[in-house]
Amino acid sequence: MTAVLHDASTIRLFGVCSAQDAEILLQLLLTHPAAEIDWRDCESAHAAVIQVLLVAGRALRGPPRGALLSRLVAPAIASN
Amino acid sequence: MNEFVEQFLLESRDLVAQATDDLLALEGKPDDRDRLDSVFRAFHTLKGAAGIVDFAAMARTLHAAEDILASIRTSGEAIVPSVLDECLTCLDLTSRWLDAMEANGKVPTGTEADADDMISRFAASLETNARDRASQPAGNDWLERLRVDPHERTTGPRVALRYVPDADAFFQGQDPMEVIAALPNLLKLDLALRDPPASLEAMNTFSSILDIVALMEASAAQVRTALIGVRGAMDIRELASSNAPVEDGRLTATSLLEAQLLVLRDGTADGLMGRLASVGRTAVNALAYLGQSEAAAALGGAAATAQATLSAAPLVEAIERALTGDGRQTSRGNTTGPVRAVRALRVDMSRIDTLVKLTGELVVLKNAIGHVAKLSQESAGPALLATTLREQHALFNRLTTELQAAVLGIRVLPLRSVFRRFPKLVREIAGSVGKTVKLLVEGDDTEADATIVDALFEPLLHVLRNAVDHGIESPERRAAAGKEAAGTVILRARRDVDNVVIDVEDDGGGIDLTRVRAVAAERRIASADVLAAMTDSEAVHLIFAAGFSTAATVSDLSGRGVGMDSVKTAVERLGGKVTLETTPGAGTTITLLLPFSLMMTAVMTVDVAGQAFALPLDTILETTIVGRDRIVPIGSSHAVVLRDRTVPIIDLAEMLGFSPGLPSQGVAKIVVLSVGTQIAGLVVDRLGERMDVMLKPMDDLLAGIRGVAGTTLLGDGRVLIVLNPAEILV
Repeated sequence: MTAVLHDASTIRLFGVCSAQDAEILLQLLLTHPAAEIDWRDCESAHAAVIQVLLVAGRALRGPPRGALLSRLVAPAIASN
Repeated sequence: MNEFVEQFLLESRDLVAQATDDLLALEGKPDDRDRLDSVFRAFHTLKGAAGIVDFAAMARTLHAAEDILASIRTSGEAIVPSVLDECLTCLDLTSRWLDAMEANGKVPTGTEADADDMISRFAASLETNARDRASQPAGNDWLERLRVDPHERTTGPRVALRYVPDADAFFQGQDPMEVIAALPNLLKLDLALRDPPASLEAMNTFSSILDIVALMEASAAQVRTALIGVRGAMDIRELASSNAPVEDGRLTATSLLEAQLLVLRDGTADGLMGRLASVGRTAVNALAYLGQSEAAAALGGAAATAQATLSAAPLVEAIERALTGDGRQTSRGNTTGPVRAVRALRVDMSRIDTLVKLTGELVVLKNAIGHVAKLSQESAGPALLATTLREQHALFNRLTTELQAAVLGIRVLPLRSVFRRFPKLVREIAGSVGKTVKLLVEGDDTEADATIVDALFEPLLHVLRNAVDHGIESPERRAAAGKEAAGTVILRARRDVDNVVIDVEDDGGGIDLTRVRAVAAERRIASADVLAAMTDSEAVHLIFAAGFSTAATVSDLSGRGVGMDSVKTAVERLGGKVTLETTPGAGTTITLLLPFSLMMTAVMTVDVAGQAFALPLDTILETTIVGRDRIVPIGSSHAVVLRDRTVPIIDLAEMLGFSPGLPSQGVAKIVVLSVGTQIAGLVVDRLGERMDVMLKPMDDLLAGIRGVAGTTLLGDGRVLIVLNPAEILV
C-alpha cells in the first residue's frame, strides 16, 4: 500500500501509486477532511489517483519525487 | 504503348470516373450504402489493376484508401467530409499518374513521394473521422488551455493533443498517465475533469473522467505512433512553430518554387532526370500547400512531359506560370493549343445494337434494289419501275439519315463527365478566396460530341473561377446588399436544336460597366469615340477582348474579365460562341453556345507570301520539289511533267492575288491535289505541318468567297484559312 495516513493531518503518498490506491486515498480523504497530502516520496501515480487529487482540491506538499509528476503534473493540478 | 498498358489506362480512367461520380453522390447523401459499396469496389479494382502493371506506388495509395473505405463500410457509419475529400484527392492524383503513364507509355517514376504524402493524408483524415465521431465536442477551444506563447522560440514542430480516455479505461487496464509519460518531448500538460462530481463522496474512482491536453515538441507522426493502441477520443493539432509561423507558409512555398527554377536553370546536363523528378515533386507539393490543386495538377503534367522529353522547358514554363499567375491563369496556356481529339470511346451497347439493326435493314434494301434491277431487265413498264424506285429511294433516304444519326451518336457523351469535376473545384476556389459558394448543376445529362465535352473543361473552369472570384461578392458585401451569405452559381446545360447551350449564372454583383469602359479606354482596346458609341450590351463584351485583362488587374477590377479572351478563343475553336448578360447587383450569366457535333478535318498548312493557309489532307496526292525550269508555259498557263503525267501548275500566291508570276530560277515546292478526276499542282513558298482542325464555315458577308472552305484558329490565335481545292481547280 502506497497511500497511508501519516498522522491526523497528513496523508502520505509514496513509491508507485496504483489504481487501487485511488479508492484508499478517497476513503482517507473522506475520513480526514482537514488532512493535507504529502507526495514528496511519490515516484508515479495512476491516473485514477491523479483524478482523486483533482476532485479533492486539497493542499499538496511537494514537489513529488517522480520527474513527470514534479515537472508537469503538479503544476497542472495546482492550476486547477 | 503496348496494348496491355492501353487497356489498363482505359479501364482505370473509367474506374476513376465512376468512383468520382459515386463520391460526389455520397457528398449529398453520405449514408448511401450502395454508393459506398460501389466506391469501394472501384478502388479495389483500381488497386488490383495497378498491381498487375507493377505500379507499386499507385497500388499502395489505393490500398490505403480501400482500407479506410472498408472500415467505414463495416462500421455502418456515414462517410465524413474529410475522408471524402481525401478520396477525391487520391483520384486526382491517380488521374495525374495515368496522364503521365499515357505520355510515356510506362509506369511513371518519382511517384513514391506523392504516394507517401497521400497515405499520410489518409491517416490524418481517419483521425479527423475519429474526432468527428467522438462524443466530445471537437472545437478549437481546448487549444486555449495550453496558453501557448506564440513568441516562445522552439526549434522543431509543435503538436497539441487532446486526449479524453474512455470512461472504462481503468477497467481495460489502461493508465492514461502512462500514455502521457510515453509522449515524445512533452512541454506542457493541462488536466481537467469532464463532468466533475459535486463532492468527494459522489466520486467513483473506477471511472475515468479525465480530459487531458498536452503540448509536445514533436511531429504529428511521432505523436500518432506513441498513441497506437490507446483507447479514447483524441485530437491532434499541428501548431505553427514559432520560427516559421503559418502566415509565412505562403511565402516559403513561393520562394520554394523560385528556388526550383534556379535548380532547373543550372545548365549542366548531369543528373537532369533526377533533378526534373525532384523539382516536379517539390513544386507540386508547394502548390498543393498553397491550395492550388489545379495548378498542381497542371504542373504534375508538365513534370511528366519534362521527364519524358528530358527537357526542363515545360517544367520551367509551368512553374513560371504558377508564380506569375498565382496559379489562377494556369489553364490559359493550355487553351491555346490545338484541340485534342478523344482517342478511345466507351460506347453504350444499345447504340451498337441500333447500328446492327440499321445495317440489317440496309441489306434488305440492297436485295430489294436487286429485285428492281431484275424487273427492269425483264422489261417491266417504266411507270412500275419509277414507282418502285421512288419507294426504295425513300426507304434508302430514311435509312441513311438514321445511320448517320446513329454514327454521330457514338461520338456523343453526357456533359456529366466534365461537370462532375466542378463541385469540388468550385468549393476549393471559393474556400481560397474566403467565400461560400453553392454550385448547382442542371442538365448534366445533356449530350454533346465527345471532342467538345473533352475540350470544355478548361474554358468552363475559367468561367466558373471568374464567377466565384469576381462575380460573387464578399460575404460582407452580400449581407449589406441583403443577399444570402452563400453565393450561388448555376451551371446549366441544355440542347437547342443543333447546339448545346451551357449557362454559367451567378447571383453576384454584376459587371461594373463604367469600370469596363474605363479599363478598355486605358488599355486602348477601342478608341474613345467607338467606346462612347457602344451600347451597354456591346460594351460588356469588351471583357472578351484580347488584352482587356492582365494578372495585375485581378484584384482591383470589380467584376470579371480575367483572361476571358482565352475562354472566347477556346470556344470559338470548337466552332461555338460566347455571350454574356449582366444585371448590376443581381448577377451575370455567361452562355457558351456550342455545336452539338463536330468532326475534325485533317489539313496540311502551307505558306504563301508570308501567310499560312491550309489544304484538306484528303485532297493532297503528294508534295514535291521541282526545278523552276521544268515548269513550262502552255498557252496562258503553266504545267510540269511529273511521273510521265502533265500536271497543270497554279501559282497559289498569284491566284490569291499576292505576287506577280512565277520566277524562272531555283526550285518550286509543289502540292499536288486531286479533286474528282482533276489533278493540279499548287506552287507554295513553304510546306508546313499536318494538323487536325475544327473547320468553321465562312458566314455573313464572307460566305460567298470562292476557294475558301472555312477558317480555324491556330494555337497562337492567328486565323488559318482553309482553302477549298474543289473551287480552286475548277
